[in-house]
Amino acid sequence: MSGVISTTDVCRYFGDDEETMVKAVDRVSIEIVRGEFATIVGPSGSGKTTLLHLLGGLDNPTSGSVELSGTNIAAMSGAVLSDFRRDHIGFIFQSYNLIPVFSAEENIEYIMLLQGVEASERKRRVTDMLQQVGLEGLGDRRPNKLSGGQQQRVAVARAMVSHPEIILADEPTANLDSKTGIALLDLMKELNENHNMTFVFSTHDEKIMNRASRLIHLHDGEVDLDERK
Amino acid sequence: MQTIKLAFRNLFRNTRRSILTVMLISLSLTALIAVDAVMRGMLTLLVENVTSTISGEAQIHRVGYRENLDVDLFLENSMEIEQALSQDASLQSYSPRVISAGMISSSYNVSAGLLYGIDADREHTISKVAQAVVRGEYLTGEDSELLIGQSMAELLEVDLGDRIVLTLSEANTGELAQALFRISGILDFGMRELDDNFVFINIAAARKALAMSDQQTHEFVLTFVNPEDAENPDSGIFKQLNDEEIEALGWLDLNREIGLIIELMAYSSLVVGAVLFLLASLGVINSMFMSIYERIYEFGVIKAIGTRPAEISRLILCEAFLLATISCGIGMLLGFAVNSWTSVNGIGLGEMEFSGIAISNNIFGEFHIAQFTQFPIYVVILTIAAAIYPARFAARIIPSEALQRSL
Repeated sequence: MSGVISTTDVCRYFGDDEETMVKAVDRVSIEIVRGEFATIVGPSGSGKTTLLHLLGGLDNPTSGSVELSGTNIAAMSGAVLSDFRRDHIGFIFQSYNLIPVFSAEENIEYIMLLQGVEASERKRRVTDMLQQVGLEGLGDRRPNKLSGGQQQRVAVARAMVSHPEIILADEPTANLDSKTGIALLDLMKELNENHNMTFVFSTHDEKIMNRASRLIHLHDGEVDLDERK
Repeated sequence: MQTIKLAFRNLFRNTRRSILTVMLISLSLTALIAVDAVMRGMLTLLVENVTSTISGEAQIHRVGYRENLDVDLFLENSMEIEQALSQDASLQSYSPRVISAGMISSSYNVSAGLLYGIDADREHTISKVAQAVVRGEYLTGEDSELLIGQSMAELLEVDLGDRIVLTLSEANTGELAQALFRISGILDFGMRELDDNFVFINIAAARKALAMSDQQTHEFVLTFVNPEDAENPDSGIFKQLNDEEIEALGWLDLNREIGLIIELMAYSSLVVGAVLFLLASLGVINSMFMSIYERIYEFGVIKAIGTRPAEISRLILCEAFLLATISCGIGMLLGFAVNSWTSVNGIGLGEMEFSGIAISNNIFGEFHIAQFTQFPIYVVILTIAAAIYPARFAARIIPSEALQRSL
């Protein structure tokens, strides 16, 4: 199996003073392979979100490298990094974070507009994604007219519509009730299995851990245990 | 297109704030349009008072005459000058004058004053002497007629029909001469300088009293068909008449202090505009920052999913542009309404004397094309300029930091 993303001795420290410095991520070297449904787990403050941000190029490491399909994204910045994220990485956030003034369809379409995808292709993909996430007929609704679970489904559709190589999800079920969370996880697992899409979660939700094919345990910024099921 | 759509919809996310910002910008534009209209009206009134009361739009004298009104420095060739003036199509009217300082005496008192010998018919078209007659009659051409300012009449304790003796120094010889007149009219110009010091008699009587011939004149006063010609020293009549002996000057050269006042008013408008837009710009910056801080998590998200920093900047600038455009529309409508009102009703300032010039009429607002073309463009440019800093701030948001914030 080929590696999609890998880190080599990646560190992210906050603060300059040796005494007060926080080592959020410390010398982490991992490789995520295509089609994995991996989770980064650990207690609060263990560095899960920071590692996920480093994997997604949302933050620059203090040292070490993060390679996505052979490109070191840790060395990128500005518009180049934005374009790279747009074309290679999908994000799902804890609080859905859809653009509130756009409808569900427009939220899904937005990233394709950034990519310059043609209108007819955008329309086709939006319709397809709404169907895949079970939101047919709700495309014209704005986020405030959708339930939390429906909003997170739109977020999943938005993350997937550009066919990224990897989807990074930061505690995607944290704001959902148990039933909605399970339904969303089943949807993502299905997409993972049917489309061989790679997912990496940061979570301490057991429902996600139970469905994961790999658990990367973090403790004080270091990988404590890396187990494949 | 998507940026415009997003920007437009973002304006309605916090309608109250957007309305307040639009009000701030549009009222600033309205104020600027209204101030400019009133300033223009005030300027017109000022110029009108300067030119139409007594001075005319231009004057012709012997070189050196204006320095101390020396009676000996008269125009010898006034017939030739009159001929040139009568043939100039740019002139609306002209009138000759004979002027001398003198003593004005009544049976009870005496005062120094300035005697104006005027051509009653021609003067009627050029100055406000006839309109200033509040009692009695304007000059009809009789030798003994004299018009006197109300305040001077009070000082001399005289009234209509009373005798006045003018003591003058004759031209050429300098001999003292006296002439007797009867008051035929009382004047009220509303200008202290004129009402306190000036008396008017027929030009023929003045020439006689000063021992001047019919060809000799101290001053020609001119008005133009197009008053702007008077402001151009290169226009025909000035070029034609100015030489070593004769000076023909427009009202701006004759009243240099008015030129300074005009410049001062232009600066005042500029300062008012600058202050208004500084305040409006601060309001725009504040509003933009509030809007950005409210959406900082959202900016983190859209940046995370691949929106370039420049696209975020463009979004903020687009929002500012839309705000400015809407504000300009409203500001121009309000400005039009205010100008329409002031141009019809005017603004009453009571009786005001400005650098010796009476402004007793209402100031009427004046429309000008720049108010509805240049000013709105400035507003749009300044609003966008005010949004540059917030736009740069938004573009530099670091996604990982923005995503940590919960607002």
